[in-house]
Amino acid sequence: METNAVPRNGRSAAAQPLSGSQIRLWIARIVITVTGLLVFFPSVNPGRITYMINNNASLFTVATSYATITNTLAYPLRRGMVEAWNFYVLMGGSAVVILGILLSCAGACMSLGNNRMKRTALKLPMIGAVGMGVGLGLIYWAYTLVNTAAQASESAMNRLQPCMPSGIYTYAALAVLIFVSSLVAYTGLPREKEEKMAMEEKFRLFLMFLPVLLLTFVFCYLPIYGWRFAFFDYKVGDTLSMSSFVGLKWFTYLFQNSATLSDLLRVMRNTLIMSGLGIATSWLPIAFAVLLAEVRSTRFQRVVQTLTTIPNFISWVLVYAIAFAIFSTDGFINSFLRNVMHVAGANTDYLASADFTWIKMLLWGTWKGLGWSAIVYIAGIAGIDQQLYEAAKVDGANRYQCIRHITIPGLMPTYMVMLLMSVAGMLSNGMEQYLVFENAINHNVIEVLDLYVYNIGIKAGLIPLSTVVGVFKSLIGVTLLFGANGISKLVRGESII
Amino acid sequence: MSTTAKPVKVHQHIRRKPSDIVFDTCIYIFFGLFTLLCLFPFYYLFINTISANDAVTSGRVNFYPIGIHFQNYVALKDVADLGSSVIVTIARTIIGTALMVIVSAWAGFLVTKQKMWRRSFWYRALVITMYFNAGLIPWYMNMLMLGLTNNFLAYILPGMIAPYNIILVKTYIESIPASLEESAVIDGAGTPTVFLKIILPLSVPILATISIFGAVGNWNSFQDSLLLMSGRPDMYTLQHRLYVYLNQSSNLAALVSGSGSLSTQAAENMLNSRVIKYTVSMVTIVPILLVYPFMQRYFVKGIMLGAVKG
Repeated sequence: METNAVPRNGRSAAAQPLSGSQIRLWIARIVITVTGLLVFFPSVNPGRITYMINNNASLFTVATSYATITNTLAYPLRRGMVEAWNFYVLMGGSAVVILGILLSCAGACMSLGNNRMKRTALKLPMIGAVGMGVGLGLIYWAYTLVNTAAQASESAMNRLQPCMPSGIYTYAALAVLIFVSSLVAYTGLPREKEEKMAMEEKFRLFLMFLPVLLLTFVFCYLPIYGWRFAFFDYKVGDTLSMSSFVGLKWFTYLFQNSATLSDLLRVMRNTLIMSGLGIATSWLPIAFAVLLAEVRSTRFQRVVQTLTTIPNFISWVLVYAIAFAIFSTDGFINSFLRNVMHVAGANTDYLASADFTWIKMLLWGTWKGLGWSAIVYIAGIAGIDQQLYEAAKVDGANRYQCIRHITIPGLMPTYMVMLLMSVAGMLSNGMEQYLVFENAINHNVIEVLDLYVYNIGIKAGLIPLSTVVGVFKSLIGVTLLFGANGISKLVRGESII
Repeated sequence: MSTTAKPVKVHQHIRRKPSDIVFDTCIYIFFGLFTLLCLFPFYYLFINTISANDAVTSGRVNFYPIGIHFQNYVALKDVADLGSSVIVTIARTIIGTALMVIVSAWAGFLVTKQKMWRRSFWYRALVITMYFNAGLIPWYMNMLMLGLTNNFLAYILPGMIAPYNIILVKTYIESIPASLEESAVIDGAGTPTVFLKIILPLSVPILATISIFGAVGNWNSFQDSLLLMSGRPDMYTLQHRLYVYLNQSSNLAALVSGSGSLSTQAAENMLNSRVIKYTVSMVTIVPILLVYPFMQRYFVKGIMLGAVKG
């Protein structure tokens, strides 16, 4: 909906070829953006001046966490092999580098303004680049200090292991690039008569939105960069280097190694069966809603609706706690059998069994979700035109015919969306439910794809292999989603996403 | 379309046939049983936590409490690591929810601005993340790279972006008459002022809805704690802590801190680990049970808005 006057047509503006000065500005902005992102990448951390510093620490971590830098250096610090202030120099240097980068980023943002603003803005990256240089100098100084301390003795060398971080060169090169590109962009700015600093509204709005985009990028898009682990021999704690590059080894391993292949087939069977059962029972919420609407007492409807939705809001861990309370050896079922029904020796642990696991999981899912899933349909029924029912009554329809010919068709569009979404999400059963109910006995039948990834990736530490499985899962998931969306467009003329 | 799922009467029958009466009775019995099925486990847990512990041990507490006492809840203060988990969970619920709501409100407001540079592109980039993710392990490696393991910020920062909630807020704001905003703009209000003075007060219902969802989500959070906090047991969330307890087959000694601070009275009452498990479960459930009936309409509103969006 348009909240303001007719928007300026951004698309046709973009179609115009960029002028030379705009291209130069964009080069500067891109260089600055890349530098800004590198702050979070541990592989180009200029602050890693000794091999003792955690190789998962990025420049940002070095600048902000003294504990992270020194947690492996406690011994040499205590023995006085190296002074603590050397590391404060390192932190200070890193902080100065980051401040320089921040200044450059601020300049890049401001450079979206008018010419007057651009001129001011482009001075900031130049100052920032100089700041980065100073900071890198400080880091280098910290390196020489630690290096000197390490030369003192053999054991100091072993404990400190100083190294000249290659990140310093990278950042120095970037600082020079920022400086030069800003300068070039600055000199290329047209000289116009002085005006007030201002920025077009479209850019102001964009800059206000930028923090949200950055967070999204860091937490939702940056993980895709983690797919690179699929192509390396890697264990947690290793440093990724080209020497461990193995190409498609893990992709072929997954399908050629008979153990992983049979695991994969078993896991896929569990996944598809559980999703299939979920899809096969996806009509249950409709039945629930339709029957609830038949109840005469409004108060009863309300109470049922409120109470049956509660289980949806407790976590799977709590569902398991409840399962434990009811079905374990000393749980409700067994103590009821023993003490009320006087069945001697009733002490079956129903949780430690692999029988009917798929059905049990389905029932737990239904217990948890049925009341909640029905709400959409209850509201759907409320949205059906009452006149339809009245007309049907006049024509002599009974309540079953009303349900069959008015209520159910009225709910079908919503149901189709839900159904297609669950087909699209077929491979993602989530792992929480299966993780909490998993044990040594039912492991083979309960392990779904998500849980398998967790088990081999986090528990067994096979990062590359689990990444390969995850990559396949993501790609197939997207394909399924687009497939479902295509079907929806074809059948209903409406997209579901 | 109504945005609340008010119970409805579909049919107004003039007179009931015998078959109707049978049908109605069946429905009442079905819903009565299912509701009981949803409630009984909570009741069962509760009566077991307040009954005499020897009665619990011998399995005599099935339908009503025996020898009511509340020592188990008092004794929880001696259960190892529970206190820090409660604090961490409450902290993340409050901070995490507040920040999520602020970000969602701001982002939802801005994406309604047609004038924004490349608006639809950025909006799409945001929405796609609901349907596509890189996978668990790459996500974990990313958090590792960012230094967000064994770090409280890991509970807060990723949760700030909730695309679904942003869509809800956006949809809601679009339903606010544009004239309100225009008049403010004519009076010289800038974008932040419009947001704070016009949009925010009018969006309170939807913000309440998403904060309830956010709070429940944070309270129930388990997976991020499981994956990211392996080195910091004191920063486990309550759900994770409960999961650890539930999987401890060992007895009291393993569960209750061995610092010697345990009073003999508590030791007598805390006879078995089963009771501790029940009591911790109860503590974890109670906030949800207490809050839920009052907040139900917000939940329903939330899911309805989502359904309207399709």
